Amino acid sequence: MRPRPYRTRATAADVEHGSIPAAAGIGLRFQHHGAVVETRPRVAWFEVHAENYMGGGTPLRFLDAVRRDYPISIHGVGLSLGTAEELDHGHLERLRRVVERAEPGLVSEHLSWSVVAGNYLADLLPLPLTEEALAIVCRHVDEAQSRLGRRFLVENPSTYLRYKHSVIPEWEFLAELARRTGCGVLCDVNNIFVSACNHGWDARAYLLSLPPDAIGEIHLAGHSLRRLDGGRELRIDDHGSRVIPEVWSLYREALALFGPVPTLIEWDTNIPTIDVLLDEAARAAALLARGAQETGRADAA
Amino acid sequence: MPTLLELQRAVHRALVSCEDGEACAQVIADGILPSNRLAVYRNTFASSLTNALRLAYPAVQRLVGAEFFDGAAAGFIEEAPPRTAWLDAYGDAFPDYLARFPPAASVPYLADVGRLELAVNKALHADDAPPLDVTALTRLPPLDRERVRFAPHPSLSLIQTEYPADTIWRSVLAEDEAALGAIDLAAGPAWLLVERSAEGVQVRRMIEAAWRFTAALCAGKALQAALDASPDIDASLLLADHLASGRFTSFALANDSLCANPPEDLP
Repeated sequence: MRPRPYRTRATAADVEHGSIPAAAGIGLRFQHHGAVVETRPRVAWFEVHAENYMGGGTPLRFLDAVRRDYPISIHGVGLSLGTAEELDHGHLERLRRVVERAEPGLVSEHLSWSVVAGNYLADLLPLPLTEEALAIVCRHVDEAQSRLGRRFLVENPSTYLRYKHSVIPEWEFLAELARRTGCGVLCDVNNIFVSACNHGWDARAYLLSLPPDAIGEIHLAGHSLRRLDGGRELRIDDHGSRVIPEVWSLYREALALFGPVPTLIEWDTNIPTIDVLLDEAARAAALLARGAQETGRADAA
Repeated sequence: MPTLLELQRAVHRALVSCEDGEACAQVIADGILPSNRLAVYRNTFASSLTNALRLAYPAVQRLVGAEFFDGAAAGFIEEAPPRTAWLDAYGDAFPDYLARFPPAASVPYLADVGRLELAVNKALHADDAPPLDVTALTRLPPLDRERVRFAPHPSLSLIQTEYPADTIWRSVLAEDEAALGAIDLAAGPAWLLVERSAEGVQVRRMIEAAWRFTAALCAGKALQAALDASPDIDASLLLADHLASGRFTSFALANDSLCANPPEDLP
């Protein structure tokens, strides 16, 4: 495995060039804009949702202020890479403008779809994993990478249903997408755990099937349990709580497989004070550091 | 086996119109009814968009209460799902929906407050744009000045409301019951200018003649024609205020395309 440089904090050069270090970052939401700009917390980098900065006014002032002190990653939720029709070129252009302004170290989107017949369905909807869908997602990733003039990462989704006509396992679909388009993979460890529980997959086998060299970032978040008919439970990826022990454990396995990777703590519902996110990021940072030591020993051996 | 497009159209119907038969037929049950699996996504769809409307229309929500608001939002979302993933711009047609929403008929000023909040939301999220270069205007020969047409700042809206929507809006958001009680609904229409300044979003009340002159300029009417239509106001003072406040971002002469910085040697 290719060793990666490991740092706990962003250096001045990281900030200047915008590169995301293999360290822990947190997802920045509006509730924490003021706290971040005023207190400049010790966190290596921030990730923002592209869609929150597509207009003008105050959000852009905060984005500029945060970007002066930290590397930033841009995470899109609305491009709909899996849409059967054309990409929304207006939306892609808005994404391009946000990327141009923030000069992010990483840009990412999802393996999902949200748009059909010109309507945005406001969720990351699951794709049937077919050759047709793979060809369409590849075409859209090629188009987006070309329009943005850079490589980007595609994230594995949390899903609550599977289609009867899916024929490609999700991990193979992602690996093939990365191989054909050169895109990276954003490995959401919580999503792997959620989908594995919901569909009876082996989460460790999923991790083992991903191409290590393509992994550009890891996401961690909390999820919830929802009881449906017949007493069956679905795990719902609501980003509204702390990362659970089973997901931390899976994260350790991911680090052992992929080496130190930029790791993000996400929290989107019932958002707590920033201290809680910093505390979660510190846990990820400790595991990254331990992984780096072990990698170092392995390299020396 | 459906094509991807056929499947996405079926899921669209399942989420927006609750017609989920075709989509359910493609979903593996595995211990949970396919309709319940699809309902997880429908809930996110509905709650994300309801939340977007709540953020954009806080005063409307306080006027009618959360339950009533969510009911109106549900009807609107089914009728007009978003056309883009940039949700800050979602809900332009919500005030019009409220105006013809029968249960809202007992709150006649609701749609007016909605139209004001639409303008406020537009002012919050509109693109940034630098003000036009006033020195370029002053360099114009006097005859050309008459032909000037302005482009308004993207955050600027001019709205006319039948009821005093600005007073209601301020009192509701401040939870000022006394001020709400003192509002005279029969006081006549309000002529409002909404914009984003360096201090945030501003809602200003104007006199009708000044509003009409400003609206004519924002609609692209040539300066002299707008002046001729507004003989009763101090237009030069008003125009100076608009320019100093950055309400116009560029100008053109009649039949020219808009330009922020015209060439030095104008014809």
